[in-house]
Amino acid sequence: METKEERQGLNFYFFFCQRIDKEQEKNRRTIEKSMGDKVRLFPIPCSGRIEPIHILRALEKGADKVYVLTCREGLCRYREGNLRAKKRVSYAQKLMEEIGLEKERVELINLKKENGMTIDTLVEDLVGKKTNIGSSPLNKPLL
Amino acid sequence: MPKKYHIHTSSVQNRLPKIIKSGVIAWEEGCLKCARCVKKECVYKVYEKRGLDGESMVDSTDTMCMDCFRCVQNCPNRLIQKGINPLYRDMGDEYWTPDIISNIWFQAETGRIPVSGAGYGGPFSGPGFDSMWTDMSEIVRPTRDGIHGREYISTTVDIGRKPMYLEFGDDGSLLTPIPPLVEIPLPVIFDLLPFSPPGDNIPQSLIAGARSINTYVIMKWSYLKEKGISPLQNIIPFLDGNTDDIEEGVIKSIPIIEIPDRGEPVSVQNRLNEINPQLVVMIRVELAPGIEEKACDLTKKGAHTLHLCADEFGNEQAEKPLFIKDRVRSVHGTLVEKGIRDQVTLLASGGIAMAEHMAKLIICGADCVAVDIPLLVAMECRICRRCKEGLSCPAKLETVEPQWGGKRITNLMGGWHNQLLEVLGAMGMREVRRLRGEMGRAMFFEDLEREVFSNLGQRGQG
Repeated sequence: METKEERQGLNFYFFFCQRIDKEQEKNRRTIEKSMGDKVRLFPIPCSGRIEPIHILRALEKGADKVYVLTCREGLCRYREGNLRAKKRVSYAQKLMEEIGLEKERVELINLKKENGMTIDTLVEDLVGKKTNIGSSPLNKPLL
Repeated sequence: MPKKYHIHTSSVQNRLPKIIKSGVIAWEEGCLKCARCVKKECVYKVYEKRGLDGESMVDSTDTMCMDCFRCVQNCPNRLIQKGINPLYRDMGDEYWTPDIISNIWFQAETGRIPVSGAGYGGPFSGPGFDSMWTDMSEIVRPTRDGIHGREYISTTVDIGRKPMYLEFGDDGSLLTPIPPLVEIPLPVIFDLLPFSPPGDNIPQSLIAGARSINTYVIMKWSYLKEKGISPLQNIIPFLDGNTDDIEEGVIKSIPIIEIPDRGEPVSVQNRLNEINPQLVVMIRVELAPGIEEKACDLTKKGAHTLHLCADEFGNEQAEKPLFIKDRVRSVHGTLVEKGIRDQVTLLASGGIAMAEHMAKLIICGADCVAVDIPLLVAMECRICRRCKEGLSCPAKLETVEPQWGGKRITNLMGGWHNQLLEVLGAMGMREVRRLRGEMGRAMFFEDLEREVFSNLGQRGQG
């Protein structure tokens, strides 16, 4: 189990549907101030916009953990965007396992609340959550 | 005939993927595998050239799509949809809208005038500059004659004090002392930036841009001194600290200087003129209610140039602020009433976001304008103001190459110059000096509304 210090050293990438927090540009600043480059936030027009390449590129660029945040099931503006996101994430997990990466490095969070969620509290909760993963092997120098 | 002023523009590529209004949302699952897929038939080859920028995680479909909606309309299984791009929606603020920002980007990239094509789809009036309509009644010939050089429209303005009359001695010699005057070929000066990431690349880009179009850039003297920038060609030092803290050699080497409106600015001006009689001194005055009296007072005392500054949104310093165009109009009107308007040059800055704002502010009575934020936007700034809070710049502005930045600014100013020529051509004017204070050639929504509707609902007299 990783310690709090180790968790703080991890790089987190968040892809999230823009409808989760319409004030994201303002709200993300508090978390960016406290965590700096450890957290990267990428709003997308719909969570169904996510594709395996986004996740894999994020891991390649230094992410230790990638989160995909979607609206509650049944509430997608594009009807099935969050369902598509689910499929894309599981496909990406399959690809990751094939190359020997833990599939826990990417996680889909289907938000339960309809509104009132701000991106800073969401990120804070998720970063503070205990995970079984450590630093990504992709971030370690080659021997 | 003097040489025609022309700003040479050339295409200057963006450093970062462009942020456009809409994002493609395409479901891969459910594809019918049509032989003639809409993705293959995209006229801009958006899907064929697809790639993902790992740094910003921006898909190239979101930067190359031209919003023609052919793919959205023609996919038989309706798998392609378009949504507003959150990065686009979140750019700027209520005043500096995403549309204004992308408009400036286009001009900085291409040096061309943005043309909307299928007519104007927006409202006909709004707050700020949008409540002012200019008279284009002289459109009886191509308004682009000025741009293409078939007729010469001068955009030159003079900065400095002007004598109202000349006195000659008995022998015909000129007795009136001629105050210093600086001519600039475009009624635009680059102002102090209200925010900017740290580093020297942005100031260097501004200097390069100013030199290329032969105008001036205002910079804090404390910064110029610290960095040892010399020569101060095309630079107007702003004495932000003690007004005595500048060497005589420097004062003698520059044509214009700016001083703050502190204490007795005219006596500071006179002191500087004792050292260099050819020096034009600008007094930086914050716009606020009652500024008209101050402007009259400073003009009567002999001020050369007043720089009237509003905030980033074009508002003055007040609880219920007046917009820059209204306050400048009032200052201009008061000076005209007192019969002293022509003695002084008025420079206005704050909230100037588009070429039309420059023309409108000149109509309201400014001789020249000073721009700030659009220069940053030309270098791909998104007006997120994160730099103000010490956060990283998403456009990495601190790393711009000064040469690249200078070219982008030149392109933007080239576009603005051409738009000014179009306005002047459409008004039947041959020079921008004639446009100053031409309020009869503009209509103001508030005035029209008052004239038309104020009597409604009132009983007639008698």
